[in-house]
Amino acid sequence: VNARTAPERSEAWRAGIKKYYIYVVLALIVVLFSVVKLGQVQMFGRGHFLSPDSLINLLRTAVPILTLSGAFTLLMISGYIDLSVGSAMSLSAVVFALMILNGFAFLPALLLTLVMGLAMGGLNGLLVMKLRITPVIATLVTLNLFKGIALLIVPGGLSAIKSSAAKLMPAWINDYARKGVLLRLPWAFYVAILVIAVLAVVQRKTILGKYAAAIGGNRTAAELSGINAVRMVWVLYVIVGLFAALAGVARASYMSLGDPLSGDGMELDNIIAVLLGGTAFSGGEGSVLKTIIGALIIMCVTTGLMTVIPAFWQVMAKGSVLLLAVVLNHLLVRARAKA
Amino acid sequence: MKVPTKIGARMSNESFLSLFMLGVLVVLFGVACVFVPNFYLPQNMLNILTNNWFIVILGIGVTFLLITGNFDMSVGGNIAMTGVLSVYFCQAANVSQNALANGIGLPYAAALVLALVCAMGIGAINAFFIARLKVPSIIITLGTMMLARGVAQIVTRGAQRNTSLPDAFGVLGNTAIRGTSIKIAVLVMIVLVVAAFVFEKLTVAGRRTYLIGANPEAARLSGIKVIRHITLLYLASGLLAGITGILLASEFKAGVSGRAAGYEFDALVIALLGGVSIAGGFGSVLGMFVGAVILSVVTTAATGLLLSPDWQFTLKGIVTFIAILAQRFALDRRKA
Repeated sequence: VNARTAPERSEAWRAGIKKYYIYVVLALIVVLFSVVKLGQVQMFGRGHFLSPDSLINLLRTAVPILTLSGAFTLLMISGYIDLSVGSAMSLSAVVFALMILNGFAFLPALLLTLVMGLAMGGLNGLLVMKLRITPVIATLVTLNLFKGIALLIVPGGLSAIKSSAAKLMPAWINDYARKGVLLRLPWAFYVAILVIAVLAVVQRKTILGKYAAAIGGNRTAAELSGINAVRMVWVLYVIVGLFAALAGVARASYMSLGDPLSGDGMELDNIIAVLLGGTAFSGGEGSVLKTIIGALIIMCVTTGLMTVIPAFWQVMAKGSVLLLAVVLNHLLVRARAKA
Repeated sequence: MKVPTKIGARMSNESFLSLFMLGVLVVLFGVACVFVPNFYLPQNMLNILTNNWFIVILGIGVTFLLITGNFDMSVGGNIAMTGVLSVYFCQAANVSQNALANGIGLPYAAALVLALVCAMGIGAINAFFIARLKVPSIIITLGTMMLARGVAQIVTRGAQRNTSLPDAFGVLGNTAIRGTSIKIAVLVMIVLVVAAFVFEKLTVAGRRTYLIGANPEAARLSGIKVIRHITLLYLASGLLAGITGILLASEFKAGVSGRAAGYEFDALVIALLGGVSIAGGFGSVLGMFVGAVILSVVTTAATGLLLSPDWQFTLKGIVTFIAILAQRFALDRRKA
């Protein structure tokens, strides 16, 4: 009686693939880049993809996307999108660097930047949820708005907020995102891990996570069953803004300067990570932890490719990865719909 | 509900919004004339109408796609790709040690046709994913934006190609109509806008576009081939971007990989300023053109007032939000 029929078995296969493919992809990519470099350097030696130096470097540069993509996933689960995250991150980096350059201590500068992040997310929420402007349009416009403000803050003739003859950027700005504190990894990395852990719990165990999935699955039904969709999604936008600001602080601290273009393309990296993680396009289901694996895949691909192909191939590579992620996502989502 | 006294006396919401934005344009223009020196000169007015020709050409495709409820963010990257390819295809082959000076050496006409085919290829990829696989258009077209710009960067190695070109290459983009400063590109813009207007108002396919946007399911059930229609619109949008790319490459006699960054946003902005709505089934080409002129007036005035170019992003953002909200307010008042 317990013997399973053929369709049941193939369905179990599909479910298995859906559950584990992303880990396999990550492992394959790591192996691939490790093998590609094999001829040139000693296994696990310095300069190798899997060497401690290169791993630590990879994780340090991954801090912004690790910080941000969890919140981004929650928003996409609810069926909404925020294309302004990259610009919000740039603006935060610029403002944070400006404050540090002008003698603020770390904590006040951090707190003020985070408050600004809340405001940016709040503005997006206001435009999308209260004024009912289509999410893509509203956040595309705020993308340009935040970018424009960041460019205005940086004095004419300079490319970024940085040390000059008149004012010196304090060296301790590095302490947060570059200097190793434990296992040679910086504070910012552990903060990102904490953020991921909290958001994973929020997604799985709290009302906010359940409501986000309900709204993404069917907003009308969710509202009819008493969920205040406007307020819930607004909260999600604010959370995304908050972590975009935190990511900006990490980027500024890592680079020791406030670059108004440093967050460009962040929204695409996040979308790729979310799609690789199997979150449905239209919302309704998804997983914060799988997005994080997706984010690691992107970082591995970008870092790994930098060692083997010229820089001008990067844009093409990322575009192809995005389309591949869409195809993978489509196949899995359709597999579910058929089953 | 009030019954109109004459049948057909009430104009459509689209015409109403176009007129509304035309009024806004007149007011903005008047204000600019008062505050900006030399703003009222005929030459400046001509510049305002014609300087944005590339955005208007892109705006045609973007407008129709928005009416069906779809985005096209790939147009900027597509311009860069087509421009670079049109150069690469007709650069002479094996003439120099420098790899960027060597092309394929096709005849000029063949190079243009091939480049346009590639531009439509980007449109075809968009159409396949969006119309067939039902993937959200914003995700796919952001991907093809990178794909197209990636091709441009690979072919130019991240820089540009501008040597060993045939003499004919610069003619298209630099010839002016005799006795005026109006370039061929502007003429192309006018022809395309008129053609798009005729398509929108007078053809069955044009009216179907609105039905698809208003209710895709109803459109499908009433026998409209929705997938084919959206596919054709994406191909057309790719073609328009390709034409723009070729004209720009000819004007500068170079294929530059960084060309047209952000044009996709400008094309979207002028469509929104013209009252096109992504909510579907609403908008017009003439409105888009009015939107383009508004954007041109605002940016020219800002430059005239000595605002730094860094103001452009912020200004565009604020203007767009005000326009969207004002249009909604005007429409709500009209319904009430």
